[in-house]
Amino acid sequence: MAQVSLRNVVKRYELVQVVHNINLEIADHEFVVLVGPSGCGKSTTLRMLAGLEEISSGEIYIDSRPVSSVPPWNRDIAMVFQNYALYPHMTVAENMGFGLKLRHVPKSEIQARVKHAADILGITNLLDRRPKALSGGQRQRVAMGRALVRDPKVFLFDEPLSNLDAKLRVQMRTEIKKLHQRVNTTTIYVTHDQVEAMTLADRVVVMNGGRIEQIGPPQELYHAPKSLFVAGFVGSPGMNFVPARVEESNGSLYLSIGNRCRLAVPLARTDRYGPFVGRMMTFGIRPEHISEPSGEPQSGMAPLELPVDVVEPMGAETLVHCNLDGTTVIACLEPSTQASPGKPIKLVADMNHMHLIDPETSLVV
Amino acid sequence: MKRVWVHVGLIAFSAYILLPILWIIRTSFVPESMSYSSSLMPGFTLDNFAALLNRRNFGNSLLRSLIVSLGATLIALPFAAATGFAFARYRTGGNLGRFLVLATQMLPAIVLVLPTFTIFRSLGLTNSIFGLMIVYAALNLPFLTWILMGFFEGIPVELEWAAMIDGANPWTAFWRVVIPVSLPGLASAGILGFIMAWNEFIFALILTGPATATVPVSLAALQTQNGIRIADVSAGVVLAVIPLAIIARYAQRFIVSGLTFGAVK
Ligand SMILES: Nc1ncnc2c1ncn2[C@@H]1O[C@H](COP(=O)(O)OP(=O)(O)O)[C@@H](O)[C@H]1O
Ligand SMILES: [Mg+2]
Repeated sequence: MAQVSLRNVVKRYELVQVVHNINLEIADHEFVVLVGPSGCGKSTTLRMLAGLEEISSGEIYIDSRPVSSVPPWNRDIAMVFQNYALYPHMTVAENMGFGLKLRHVPKSEIQARVKHAADILGITNLLDRRPKALSGGQRQRVAMGRALVRDPKVFLFDEPLSNLDAKLRVQMRTEIKKLHQRVNTTTIYVTHDQVEAMTLADRVVVMNGGRIEQIGPPQELYHAPKSLFVAGFVGSPGMNFVPARVEESNGSLYLSIGNRCRLAVPLARTDRYGPFVGRMMTFGIRPEHISEPSGEPQSGMAPLELPVDVVEPMGAETLVHCNLDGTTVIACLEPSTQASPGKPIKLVADMNHMHLIDPETSLVV
Repeated sequence: MKRVWVHVGLIAFSAYILLPILWIIRTSFVPESMSYSSSLMPGFTLDNFAALLNRRNFGNSLLRSLIVSLGATLIALPFAAATGFAFARYRTGGNLGRFLVLATQMLPAIVLVLPTFTIFRSLGLTNSIFGLMIVYAALNLPFLTWILMGFFEGIPVELEWAAMIDGANPWTAFWRVVIPVSLPGLASAGILGFIMAWNEFIFALILTGPATATVPVSLAALQTQNGIRIADVSAGVVLAVIPLAIIARYAQRFIVSGLTFGAVK
């Protein structure tokens, strides 16, 4: 087990730079998830960590030891690939024991460790099979077993669940989390799925276009996103964004959307948003912070009346797509809602959870 | 109705391919004197085979062809594997390198055979099956490289990455993972190389003498001043085809079953 640091890590392929100056400190035992849209450089970063890809500049440290000149076979890390990459000519047991065999671990110990890992993953009955005789989920477990057996300093996962069907994916996600709680090995996990990131991570690293947008625990990313990108990427359904002008009257701030809609900004935010009075900003609010009014009006709740476009019952909740001055706004309502397409609906936005984004910098203010 | 026509077409096509072969098999069992008869089986004899094997030492030609073809393939295969892998994985030489390998196949054999003869004569390698083996290995190399390159490109690089992360250096990863996974590809390439060498004629004709002739050369030698002894030729063709038929029969199953592995997904 080990801590890992990336300092000013850059990756260039000939002329294009695909990873820009990554700085990341990962503590011992930590589970860190790199998340971002496809092509943002997650796998490249992971491969640099593994030593499969050279770094163009900067340095990576594993346990305070610079590793850029250490080849993958000497880094003492394990990696699970999206396509599992099981050795097709070996049985499950041989697949799992291969790394130990290369390190000349005695046969009896290899057997014991393979057995132990197989017990943990529930694949003891598969040990004599070859990969082609396994289902996708079983292959996934074997791939994890191969990493587990080695008891390495660091686990690297590159989208390990992407090839599984939805149900199995959720199940394996839980198993990965359990596994980490049990073995506690420092883990760096790559995914494009923000739900996976939020559920698994101690800390999430949101990447976009080869840069880190924000690093933080899942709750922090959800409640205090630092940029438009993170605000929109984290959470499902995603945050609503509406262009709005900040206005002041009698010492209070309002957001003015179109000609008819004015939303009061909570007093606590007056100082924070004061400098933006008169400017067009992007107002962000999550669907779960828009609801139907119930009982007495509460402070920070701004009333809205919007025409409904689409109603999507999800079971536990109902998503209602409304039109706010030409922008679609999704509200996450109780399943008992009477909303129906074409009719207006009365809503309240919980402005205590609002975000304001400066469109010039794309940063949350 | 449509199915019927499809079958008629397929039967006609099969007949087009198979009839000459069947006729050769038939002729090989018919006495020379009746071999041009149009009746289906005017007689039956094994004399053609006996004559070929006893008087003309056709057995030696078969043995030489076997040694030359096998040797040439076994020499060429490791080099082709290494080159093909370098092309496939490290893109060594880029597209130009690939093109140059293919370009060697564009020269007609006749262009190469005379310079080869001159060089081999000065090296004392004419009239020797060893010399022929080297030539066939060289002729096979680009072709086998090309085939294996395609095969290696189909192997997910993650397999090697996994091996390296497991503690294998690139050389170990190549031998312990890439090569075992590629056995079906190596087998197909080897078989194709063997067949090419087995059937090769021009180089064999120029580079061998009566004592070192391979099967195709010995077959051609059956064409004498007295005309073609068609029954002998047929028997020779049958003997020449038997090894290939055996390979096709047993290798096919191996190749097909080997190709569906399951490394990924
Ligand atoms: N070998 C390569 N040569 C050139 N560009 C590459 C290479 N590998 C990846 N890239 C580019 O680097 C970017 C990041 O890729 P990757 O790390 O695989 O993204 P992610 O895993 O986040 O989807 C992509 O735009 C991709 O096209
Ligand atoms: Mg990727």
